[in-house]
Amino acid sequence: MSPTATTRPDLPEGAAPSPMLQRLAAERATGALMRDRGTLYLADGQVVHAESPATPGIDVLLTTGGALRSEGWWDAVAQAGAGQRVGRYLVDSGRVPGGALELCHLGALYDAAFFALAPTHTPARFRYGVSHWIGPVRPVPVHAVQRETLRRRELLNRIWPDALTDSAPLSPTSHPVDAPVPPRQRRVLTLVNGERTATDIAQELGRSAFHILVDLRRLAAAGLVEAARPATAGPASVSAHSRVTLPEVTADPDVALLRRLRDALEAL
Amino acid sequence: MPGIDECLIEVMRLPGARGAAVVDWTSGLALGTIGESPNGDHEATAAETAEVARMAAEQPVFAQADAPGGPPGPPAPAVEDVIVTTAPGYHILRFVETAFDSSVFLHLWLDRAEGNLALARIRLGEIAERLVLA
Repeated sequence: MSPTATTRPDLPEGAAPSPMLQRLAAERATGALMRDRGTLYLADGQVVHAESPATPGIDVLLTTGGALRSEGWWDAVAQAGAGQRVGRYLVDSGRVPGGALELCHLGALYDAAFFALAPTHTPARFRYGVSHWIGPVRPVPVHAVQRETLRRRELLNRIWPDALTDSAPLSPTSHPVDAPVPPRQRRVLTLVNGERTATDIAQELGRSAFHILVDLRRLAAAGLVEAARPATAGPASVSAHSRVTLPEVTADPDVALLRRLRDALEAL
Repeated sequence: MPGIDECLIEVMRLPGARGAAVVDWTSGLALGTIGESPNGDHEATAAETAEVARMAAEQPVFAQADAPGGPPGPPAPAVEDVIVTTAPGYHILRFVETAFDSSVFLHLWLDRAEGNLALARIRLGEIAERLVLA
């Protein structure tokens, strides 16, 4: 028996995050698909690498946790970068075990692809023939990457339906912690300081940015984290040009109030 | 052991092994799969087992007693594995410890009549170690 990549029919037309990517996969293209928030590298129509400014690169992931010293990384880039076989070199020179490199690289690939395939109005560009210096590690079919990206969007929405924590600077709330915060979320929470965004926290911890989004949505759902309010936009400017002040009706529920209500009901 | 596929092939050599997967428990993504899955859909199985693994990994009751004041850096996973027994089979979820930040586990689905749970559990632990060591 051999390992099987899950083969399932392609996504229905229109559901795909990038119809252009579908076409490139069908024609088994090789090159770089540059989108607003990241780049996907294809070889023979399969995704071999992805990068996004929103996510830590594989170098950050490997060196932050101590799997690789940064000299080791730069040596590999110097030795094998020109030959576009940095991944292979890391394994062959004994710096990173093969399985660890695959796990880390796949994590980085799906992580960057999630952001690269985010909805955008900017047209994508494809440069044929371009390949990435990391070289082949473990190619992934385009349909798997597209489906996983859609699944991840749904997962985030199920946890907490407000996407503001994904991109805004974040602040801790004064809400008391009423359930123990798991260690991984606690490490994220300690870095929330009113200025850092999810991307900053991912870079600092050397963790996949999508993992940080998941933790932040859970922390937001628990009422522990919220988007930092810009200090300048005060309410004075609003009241200046409004002659009749009506009671504000907001679509956003008051989370703190709802939680107090829930706690009170549970205490009955 | 060179990589994910070789590791999965080795898992399938265990007596009674019906299917296996390498799964990320934060996202529910299957990074590699082999053999059958209980509901015929490896991706759905991965998402479901990931929830179980996450619940186990995050419960304070299973956390290591020496957690506060421990060495800095990513906390070592306190839970080694989770075993779920059903009428026809066993499911072993074995956490993989990596030198970089990750949330990966190995899932083995074992036939209850043919499988040897004690042996499979020990071997799965060894394979999980070798997957990331060399």
